[in-house]
Amino acid sequence: MTTMLKRCCLILAVAGAMRAQQVIAPTPEAVGIARGENFANYNIVDSFELGARWRETGGSVDTYRSDVNYGDGVRLLATNLSINSKDGHGRWFDEILLSTSGLGNDPYQTASLRIQKNGLYRYDMLWREDDYYNPGLDISGGEHLMDTVRGLQDHSLTLFPQSHFQVDLGYSRNTDNGPALSTVQGFDASASAFPVFENVKQQWNEYRIGVLADWAGLRFIARHTWDFFKDDSAYALTGNETSGVATDPTILTQFQRSEPNHGSNPGWFGNIYGRRKYWALNARLTYNLGNGGFAMNELTTGLNSISVADNRQVVVSGDAQRPVVAGDLSFSVFPNSRLSIVNNTAVHDTRIDGDSYFTEFDDGTGASTTLNFKFLGVRTVSNSTDLNYRFNKWFTAYAGFTDSSRQIRFLEAFSFPAVTGSAVSGLYQQTSHLNAGRFGVRFHPLQPLSVNLEGEVGHADHPLTPMSDRNYHTLGGRIQYRKRQLQLSTGYKELYNENAPLSFETYSSRSRQYNAAASFALRDWLTFDASYSKLHLDTVGGLAFFAGVQTPQLQTGYDSIYISNIHAANVGLRFGIGRRADLYAGYTITKDTGDGRSLAVPVGVTDPAAALLDSVQTFPLTYQSPMARLSIRITSKLRWNAGWQFYGYSELFHLLGYDQDFHAHTGYTSVLWSF
Amino acid sequence: MTRRAKILWMPGLFLVVMATGTAAQDPSASGAGGYAGSNACKTCHADIWLSFYKNPHFKSVASGDLPPSRTGCESCHGPAAAHVAADGGKATIPNAFSLMSQAKALEACLTCHARDFEKANIRRSEHTMADVACTSCHSIHHSPTPKFLLAKTQTELCYGCHAGIRAQFEMPSKHRVNEGFMKCSDCHNPHGAFAPTWRMSDRPRMVDQAMNNEEPCLKCHVDMRGPFVYEHPPVRVEGCEACHFPHGSTNQRLLRRPVVFTLCLGCHNGGASGTRNNGVPIQTSQHNLLDPRYQRCTTCHVRIHGSNADETFLR
Repeated sequence: MTTMLKRCCLILAVAGAMRAQQVIAPTPEAVGIARGENFANYNIVDSFELGARWRETGGSVDTYRSDVNYGDGVRLLATNLSINSKDGHGRWFDEILLSTSGLGNDPYQTASLRIQKNGLYRYDMLWREDDYYNPGLDISGGEHLMDTVRGLQDHSLTLFPQSHFQVDLGYSRNTDNGPALSTVQGFDASASAFPVFENVKQQWNEYRIGVLADWAGLRFIARHTWDFFKDDSAYALTGNETSGVATDPTILTQFQRSEPNHGSNPGWFGNIYGRRKYWALNARLTYNLGNGGFAMNELTTGLNSISVADNRQVVVSGDAQRPVVAGDLSFSVFPNSRLSIVNNTAVHDTRIDGDSYFTEFDDGTGASTTLNFKFLGVRTVSNSTDLNYRFNKWFTAYAGFTDSSRQIRFLEAFSFPAVTGSAVSGLYQQTSHLNAGRFGVRFHPLQPLSVNLEGEVGHADHPLTPMSDRNYHTLGGRIQYRKRQLQLSTGYKELYNENAPLSFETYSSRSRQYNAAASFALRDWLTFDASYSKLHLDTVGGLAFFAGVQTPQLQTGYDSIYISNIHAANVGLRFGIGRRADLYAGYTITKDTGDGRSLAVPVGVTDPAAALLDSVQTFPLTYQSPMARLSIRITSKLRWNAGWQFYGYSELFHLLGYDQDFHAHTGYTSVLWSF
Repeated sequence: MTRRAKILWMPGLFLVVMATGTAAQDPSASGAGGYAGSNACKTCHADIWLSFYKNPHFKSVASGDLPPSRTGCESCHGPAAAHVAADGGKATIPNAFSLMSQAKALEACLTCHARDFEKANIRRSEHTMADVACTSCHSIHHSPTPKFLLAKTQTELCYGCHAGIRAQFEMPSKHRVNEGFMKCSDCHNPHGAFAPTWRMSDRPRMVDQAMNNEEPCLKCHVDMRGPFVYEHPPVRVEGCEACHFPHGSTNQRLLRRPVVFTLCLGCHNGGASGTRNNGVPIQTSQHNLLDPRYQRCTTCHVRIHGSNADETFLR
């Protein structure tokens, strides 16, 4: 028993040290080995951590709120409750698990609940709320902003969870509400953009019902879902807005947009699974039918780009459909205990089409209506075979091959309904074929030591975008040494992709990752862990764009280059003081050194287009966060905790034209009570 | 033995005595096939048995109607009669997981769990290929997590091998995994996923699907799901990763580039005259890249994920 206790303490110590790498609160240190209280035929284990947070920020509070967002105030930082029946025959339930974090206005709040009675039912609930803040400085010159609250919840009830016939019922909900800023253009598409207030109001609800049945050695699952989406966001201008551009006298005095968009997505899902001694079969088929109906009414008044009073109304209505079918069939063969072969065939078909009636009224005069039609179809069929062979207990090899074909069809058409024979359409079609092979070995020269080496080579003949895989290869390797008190690992991974599709200039991207990690549990009161990663990415692509100091000309002699060299490290030390106190100190840093240059635009570059492209080739910055936490055991059931965490964000070039740098001291103190 | 240890032993001994007295009524008691019944295990392994009622596997014991091979300790560890007769020792346990290879541990767990839909692709999953078996992540008897018998919290389990991913979640712009708001399994299935329904169905391989068959990003970002009359085709064809790093980025909004026009030019990069290039709109000469407003594409093209009103995503 003593050994077992020590082992448990060690596990908790290691877990505590590693969890401490996350944000500083809630406190991961446990008061002790929770035994709980017995009540009737149940055992109850409970803990509450109640505390207060504070923060001091400097620099860009907007960026702080976007990246960190912890604020001041009292919080129920964490709770954990478990109630278990001791014989598995509770009257109403056999288990209740409830855990929460961040309740009371933390930007990230969660709660999960499980209630189950063996053999009869199992209910799971997950609730989350996220205070989302993004100033969008780099997106639209600071004219975009979101300060919304996203709420997510999932409910799932399974009846007869241990039987051969089960029923599943589910409900999920996703809402996004709050203020935001967006932009609109004035009276024509080339005019300046004006910020408008947006009241975000989105809601998604899903209902599920399904059955599971075991019959004749096979398992059958069938499920039907209904989900409904509605977006009733509204837009309005607050006060008169000028363009702010000397050459554009446009003034908006009124802007309103109402844009309801409601849709539904009924879906079906089926699965068959069977397994015998030498083979296994798994088949899945899903079908989702997406429907959306929309209407838009937009009214703009003010002075246009030639300072003439103008008003414009745009009315749009229509609908869109998206039936999606996806199917998988896996057949596995196990000729002997050393070899397994799995063949998988997957089919995916998406067809999206919609009509959009667009009518524009200028100064109350009705313009003709345009009927737009678009179709996007994507069909992919792939087949892959994976083979895994164990030569002996310390050496295994695996290999795989994938053959995939994809067809994209893109049709766009429009007509003026008032004019007979005015329809115009264009069809674009592309077929791509991908072949990829992979091979890997793994071996265990010693019991705690494992080595994995793997690689993949692939070729696709018609990728859609420059970032897509074309002529690519990956290499990866990992060495890991795992003992109870010491874990060491190091790894390497690279992805090289040379892409020169017919419709684009040459493009290549190379990414490499190196990492090493160590975790020591020297004593049950002293643990240490650290990791370092280097993430390298460089891309280069030919460019063709319009630019000119006076009149824009087509430019084709430039390259788009992006180089990122990110060094990321974290280190943590947990120190127990006489079984009374735990001290944790940690530090994380992310540093992008770019390509090593000290100036965004190298000295001597006078060509404005070259200077512009040079300035966006790297984005060096430093983001670091030291932290410390002290946790003192007051009694066997009570702890007092205090912590501090600093966040510092600093860009080298400020190439966005906005100073996003910030620093912030955050802290908390709390009391953790558990029994 | 310390006083504390003695105190902890006492309930265990009491339990053993009680269990011995009721052994005749236990369906998992000794029988044919070398099974000794869970009662025999309690005698020596009282420390495990004491809290085993909190273990999900206790359901098989509580049901009371399963054969010995499907209930209690021997359902995982195999018939224990020889182990009991030998007065213990790992060598006499048919399935001693600490001595088993990862492949055998996987097979032992799949005896019951192979039929779980979440594990439908486990034999072709990256984890299985890399010899990451059940016991690499799950601790059946000493799990510190309330659900799923994980050996550590889920995030730290994943970070244990994926240090590069950990680095991404410590970047300034990231999904809130370290904050406890999300978990890796919100988007990934660690037991293996079906072929992705985006890109070329080959990679990424461990990304789960939401809404039955779509990219998991849409589970939360439902407003990007559409259907839209004017889809942005790369979103549908290549997925969100065409423009975003899903874990974390040094660029705001998880973008692949710090300045948005360099991202857009990657595709809308026409070397020929005209406005179409294999279906991809290229810029017009109105877009003078030296004018700052044309360097911020989404200032005007606000509905970049898809629109119902404008084919160039202006509204």
